[in-house]
Amino acid sequence: MSTKRMLLLVALATGIILVPAVSGAQDEGAAQLAKEVGGKGWIGYAARGENGTWDLFLMRPDGSQRRNITNTPDYEEGGPRFSPDGQRLLYRRFPKGTVIHHDRWGFQGDLMIARADGSEPKQIGGDREYPWASWSPDGKQIACLTMKGIQIVDLETKKVVRELPRKGIYQQLFWSPDGQWFCGVANARIMWTVVRMNVETGELNIVHEFQSCTPDWFGDSKHIIYPCRPAGQNGYGFTQLWMSDGGGKEARMIYGEDGFHIYGGALSPDDRYVLFTRCGADGGGSEDSGAPICVMRMSDAPAIAGPSPALRKVHPDAKDAPVLQLADGWEPCWTYAETGAKE
Amino acid sequence: MKLICRNASMPYRMNLPLIALLALLLSASCAKKADTGADADVTTRGSIEVTARLEEIRGDLIDDPMYDYAHVMKYKVLQVHRGQVDTETIYVGHYNPAEPRAGVADARVQEIGGNVRQFRVGDTHRMALEVPIDDHYMGGIINKYFGEVDDPIYWAVWTNRVTQ
Repeated sequence: MSTKRMLLLVALATGIILVPAVSGAQDEGAAQLAKEVGGKGWIGYAARGENGTWDLFLMRPDGSQRRNITNTPDYEEGGPRFSPDGQRLLYRRFPKGTVIHHDRWGFQGDLMIARADGSEPKQIGGDREYPWASWSPDGKQIACLTMKGIQIVDLETKKVVRELPRKGIYQQLFWSPDGQWFCGVANARIMWTVVRMNVETGELNIVHEFQSCTPDWFGDSKHIIYPCRPAGQNGYGFTQLWMSDGGGKEARMIYGEDGFHIYGGALSPDDRYVLFTRCGADGGGSEDSGAPICVMRMSDAPAIAGPSPALRKVHPDAKDAPVLQLADGWEPCWTYAETGAKE
Repeated sequence: MKLICRNASMPYRMNLPLIALLALLLSASCAKKADTGADADVTTRGSIEVTARLEEIRGDLIDDPMYDYAHVMKYKVLQVHRGQVDTETIYVGHYNPAEPRAGVADARVQEIGGNVRQFRVGDTHRMALEVPIDDHYMGGIINKYFGEVDDPIYWAVWTNRVTQ
């Protein structure tokens, strides 16, 4: 029996959804990638549960061992983020029936923190409190983006221990793993600009201008991953996944595919693999049922999938990389910690 | 605002009841057209209240339900009703300006409204404002005056149409 057939049988037996984003010649590469990442920790994400509401899920990076860890028919949940040690999950919880807007979710609903397997969920604040909360490197504090400014909150006492001007940052604030930087989306010279802020001095620099959002940190704290819908495309265009150094000097595409909007960019803890979602509609699909979560090797970037003739013209050196297409979801994150899920 | 609405020279042979009816209708019609924009919201919300003429809208107003933003527009201040405005020209950010003010409030911006249906250069608005915009609104801002004007950007809380 071929490796591919064996993998397919295993997938069917365990209920895994594992479909390569690129068919044909890419199948073998995708199968190899699945084998490579299968044992590397857990992916946490939000998806529609059987009850129809948004719940939180865990799965292995090859799509196996998928399980619903909140299963709350009376709430919608989204935006999960593992703590730096992988022991806890921070997320937001909304009243049942709330449409999760891809740009507003961070300041809506309640901030929740649970163990990484979803157990012991605790409500940290009331509705709209602790907006856009993001873990500190030691997991003892959170940074929040409020109208007044960026607030660093001690989780044990709930006290604001420091406040900085937000300098035009208006959503998706994330604290770097080394604690020295914030990244976020700002009105700089123009709106939808990804910026980096020095936590100590508050100094701000532009990372990438024009239709760029949802930034996140590489584990090295020196690079930032973000979706971007560049100018010069026909019509509305498609959102691609990009990366840049924190100074904004070396921006480059990671993955693009005409016909799909790429969002939810995140890295494996060692920066070797990239997570993203691949959605036919702009926004990432949070208003609906999400989009397929994909995994790719960073060493295969820049990559382009599908015919994408216009995109290939702009990036002639891009590869046809193996991409794992997993379950539908939204805003995935990755930990190598092995405490993610109960058997 | 002075309202000029007179029926000065009517034909002598028209009977008085008809003249009275016409005068009443004309008066009512004139009263409908003239509107200072004052109402319970615009006169109480925000910390500043002005009547101002919309002088310029730079760039196109984007009508994209996927994204929220404020668009900065240039106004000439005609009258300050409340608060302090030191300049004749002010720059005002209107939230999702492609939408009528009456229905523009949403999950991001809840305390906002007015009766303006469409932003048109030359129109006069009575506005309840706050300043600076960043203290009252956290979202994307289209500011085509960036780098050209250092004045603070006002945030439009309530925007009513003024007719003369």
